[in-house]
Amino acid sequence: MSVEAVNEARPGEAVNGAALPLVVEHVAKGYELDGRIVPVIADLSLTLRKGEIVSIVGPSGCGKTTLLNTLCGLLAPDTGRIRWHGRQVSGQPQNVGYMLQKDLLLPWRTALGNTMLGLEIRGVAAAEAEDRSRAMLDQLGLHGFADHYPSTLSGGMRQRVALARTLVNDPDVLLLDEPFAALDFQTKLLIENDMVDLVRKGGRSMLLITHDIEEAVSLADRVIVLTQRPTRVKATYPIEFGAGRADVISLRERPDFSQYVRRIWADLDIAIQ
Amino acid sequence: MTTDIETAMVDAPKPMGGVPAPLARARWKRLRTGIAVLATQVLVLAALVALWEYATPKGSPAAFMFGSPSAIAGFLVQMAQDGSLWRDAAVTGMETLLGFFVGNLVGTLIGLSLWYSRFVSRVVQPFVIALGSIPIIALAPIVIIWFGTGLISKVAMSTLSVVIVALVTSYKGAIGVDSDQINLMRTLGASKFQIFRKLVVPASLTDIFAGLKLTVGFALIGAIVGEFMSSSEGLGHAIFKAGSLYIIPKVFAALVVTIVLALVLTWLVGKIERLLIPWRRQA
Repeated sequence: MSVEAVNEARPGEAVNGAALPLVVEHVAKGYELDGRIVPVIADLSLTLRKGEIVSIVGPSGCGKTTLLNTLCGLLAPDTGRIRWHGRQVSGQPQNVGYMLQKDLLLPWRTALGNTMLGLEIRGVAAAEAEDRSRAMLDQLGLHGFADHYPSTLSGGMRQRVALARTLVNDPDVLLLDEPFAALDFQTKLLIENDMVDLVRKGGRSMLLITHDIEEAVSLADRVIVLTQRPTRVKATYPIEFGAGRADVISLRERPDFSQYVRRIWADLDIAIQ
Repeated sequence: MTTDIETAMVDAPKPMGGVPAPLARARWKRLRTGIAVLATQVLVLAALVALWEYATPKGSPAAFMFGSPSAIAGFLVQMAQDGSLWRDAAVTGMETLLGFFVGNLVGTLIGLSLWYSRFVSRVVQPFVIALGSIPIIALAPIVIIWFGTGLISKVAMSTLSVVIVALVTSYKGAIGVDSDQINLMRTLGASKFQIFRKLVVPASLTDIFAGLKLTVGFALIGAIVGEFMSSSEGLGHAIFKAGSLYIIPKVFAALVVTIVLALVLTWLVGKIERLLIPWRRQA
């Protein structure tokens, strides 16, 4: 199997892909500092297909978080277009789940209460919200912990509750910003495995922003490499593991896995200063 | 995953009775330290009282100037027997509680609602600082003129000493909410009001309760200052009257009652806090 980067410069794709879950076209974003505009994202285009998992890797400080906040409508892009399912939305896109490295669980709510938050906000009846939340917690291996407060749960379990809170809303697209970076290696692998399983089974799409190349390669169908600031797309790697994809843990043993990792690492141009 | 759950099981609270030996030892050690602290406190207090009693023999000028513990105790018994102790404590306690309640309610409501609008909060800020810098005692004459010499004027004084502190602490709590948490609520589709009710208000409770504990004392000071200015009952009245008549031990006796009242009120607020913030209890 050959490991080749593909150039992402495909502006035409957006036209025929009107109903793709996410299309980003030439987005730029900067912030003002002492009266000058500091560009963070120079020009970024990417697409996310239905059921696809895409990882975005880039050198530290390449504006990954700015990108994510722009995508989920918390920041407005300076130029360019972001289309969700073919439509440009102002404010928060519908059916998009968002998850950060911080679990952001509310300490005064139990695991169940935290999971129910999104359903509660959308006005789903309490009984239904509770049933769905309990079922989601069970699926993520948290059976029997629904009534625990976050302060009594371990870091891995808290992040599982955060994942349950995201998935229970049945999002079409998940946007994740280094969600498991604070966890120890084993815990992280197990959660990732469960998460990818749920995402693939549900036919959801996922955009994962990470600095961990191995994580990116093991989870994604495509890895997008970003440049240093001001950020552009440097290269895109389709990750082809075929049927072996099912298990993100044993994947790491394969020779082509390390081949991908080495290629992407080389592309990241992380200079040691 | 199993490792996670196992760890949590170990951390989970155990039912009473079957406490493992190391846990029981740690508990006993904590208890012993607690007893030692308490015993030392009692000893220090006893030593101070004994020294005071020794230095102020009956009929001496020192006893007149500084009172003596036995004379203070005598007055306490007398005040308890003639009922003035209970009456005065009840009056001051009522004024304090009402002022505490109204002041915190108004202050907290304004403080929290300022979260809603940065514009309004910026407009209001200098006024709040100006009001907060007025010594409450300077307002007492006006308050007496406006509200008379009865209960209402003391409650007003008490409210005024509480309201700005309550406003500032609750506002600080509200604007201190993690912006990532607000973003998360927004991505879950929450309206501004939902963010306020489900996130900002509960997140501010810790700060609000810190303010409550602080303002119990302020409410009591306000009530007593009001009683000093003009009153016919209450602990402040008792202190002021005894002081005017140079009955120093009676001043101290009323002070002791005031301290006990303050302690009881503070303890009460702590109890309510533990009741209303259960997630901190479980931590």
